[in-house]
Amino acid sequence: MEKIKDIIKLIHSLVPENRRIRIMNVCGSHEHTIAFSGMRSLMPNNLEIIPGPGCPVCVCPESDIINAINLSRKDDVILVTYGDMLRVPTQKGSIRAEGKNFRMITSPFEAMNIAKSNPDKKTVFFSIGFETTTAPTAAILEMGIPENLFILSSHRLTPTIMEILVKDAEIGIDGFIAPGHVSAIVGSNAWNVFSEKYGIPTVVAGFEAENLLFGIMEILQQLKNGNVQTGNVYKGVVRPEGNVQAQKIMAKFFEAADVNWRGIGHIPGSGLELRAKYADKDARKVFRLEEIKEAKIPGCICGTIILGKAYPSACKLFKKACTPKTPKGPCMVSMEGACNIWYKA
Amino acid sequence: MCVGVPMQLVEINYPTGIAEAKGVTREIGLQLLPQDAVKIGDHIIVHVGFAIEKIDKKLADEIWETLDEILRVMDEEEKSARSLNSPRDD
Repeated sequence: MEKIKDIIKLIHSLVPENRRIRIMNVCGSHEHTIAFSGMRSLMPNNLEIIPGPGCPVCVCPESDIINAINLSRKDDVILVTYGDMLRVPTQKGSIRAEGKNFRMITSPFEAMNIAKSNPDKKTVFFSIGFETTTAPTAAILEMGIPENLFILSSHRLTPTIMEILVKDAEIGIDGFIAPGHVSAIVGSNAWNVFSEKYGIPTVVAGFEAENLLFGIMEILQQLKNGNVQTGNVYKGVVRPEGNVQAQKIMAKFFEAADVNWRGIGHIPGSGLELRAKYADKDARKVFRLEEIKEAKIPGCICGTIILGKAYPSACKLFKKACTPKTPKGPCMVSMEGACNIWYKA
Repeated sequence: MCVGVPMQLVEINYPTGIAEAKGVTREIGLQLLPQDAVKIGDHIIVHVGFAIEKIDKKLADEIWETLDEILRVMDEEEKSARSLNSPRDD
């Protein structure tokens, strides 16, 4: 505890009095620790720790969810996906409310097992998330999946969205706390672009409060002394080059694609789709899925929150019409969503 | 879904294995780590059933301290989600 007090004291000494500093985290688990530890209340008034796009469920396009609902309504299809995805609201309802044949899984292994146990059905794995979930999906493809298992990929690339945010002057990011386990896959070197091209310190941190405070402290030290570079206070897990084997397997099966982010819009090269070589496993192609126009959720500012332009408390639905039991927008559904975390903290 | 769980390898049948954490064992994928890089007794970070990196025991214990709180919340969410496969309530 004394150590934490010392770090907080140092953080106060490093923040300049004459300007506002905005540090963004891009990981739901980081936001969870920050919110539940009460860390923000211990920071200087002019230091903001803002939650960014750390919730893959929140940015999953409405179109993909509606397609998943429709697939689950086919008699010969079993739709499988991670639990959070079942409750995400769309203009056509949620998978839970409107779907027919669907199952929750906690690992791509379970998708394989369900397909094997149901050889007379087509199992569609609605696979979403950033690099930490992309790699396991690529891994089952490498291991060899059953012929009746198909992938509906809604994977997103963390470094790409972070670069979009850096270019947005309205957000005004001074530093990034890079996600610990995404970094384990992509490597801390993946963040070098932010220091080298944009002069923004980026520090990889773990998930305990003390480690996160170290990360914040290092960002502030870099801003003060001008020696901006990629930092890493989670070295026990994250290597500069990352998990090279995972990167190779991901690259074998997936390629970058121009995709939508819910509430944000179209971002070139920010998603991952199966390569054409694996079209026979690609649910988009096998089932000829079409893009469905996204509907705006009245009053919901989830997209603005994901971009770091507003806090959940700025939403007029927050804690009123929108709660974890009655989520109006995706940021309230997932335990990695900023609204869900702020509601419970 | 992006929460990484430290576990300890108790059996290896590459590209899969059995790992244990807090008395619970489960089959995990080892495909994301080189075969010659893993051995029984190793501590690993597991994401959605796949080991993504090796770690030391001290770090595994530290991560568990934080995870205990996160998983308490996650358990509540999963219990809610698990009921989704049974008759709907909304």
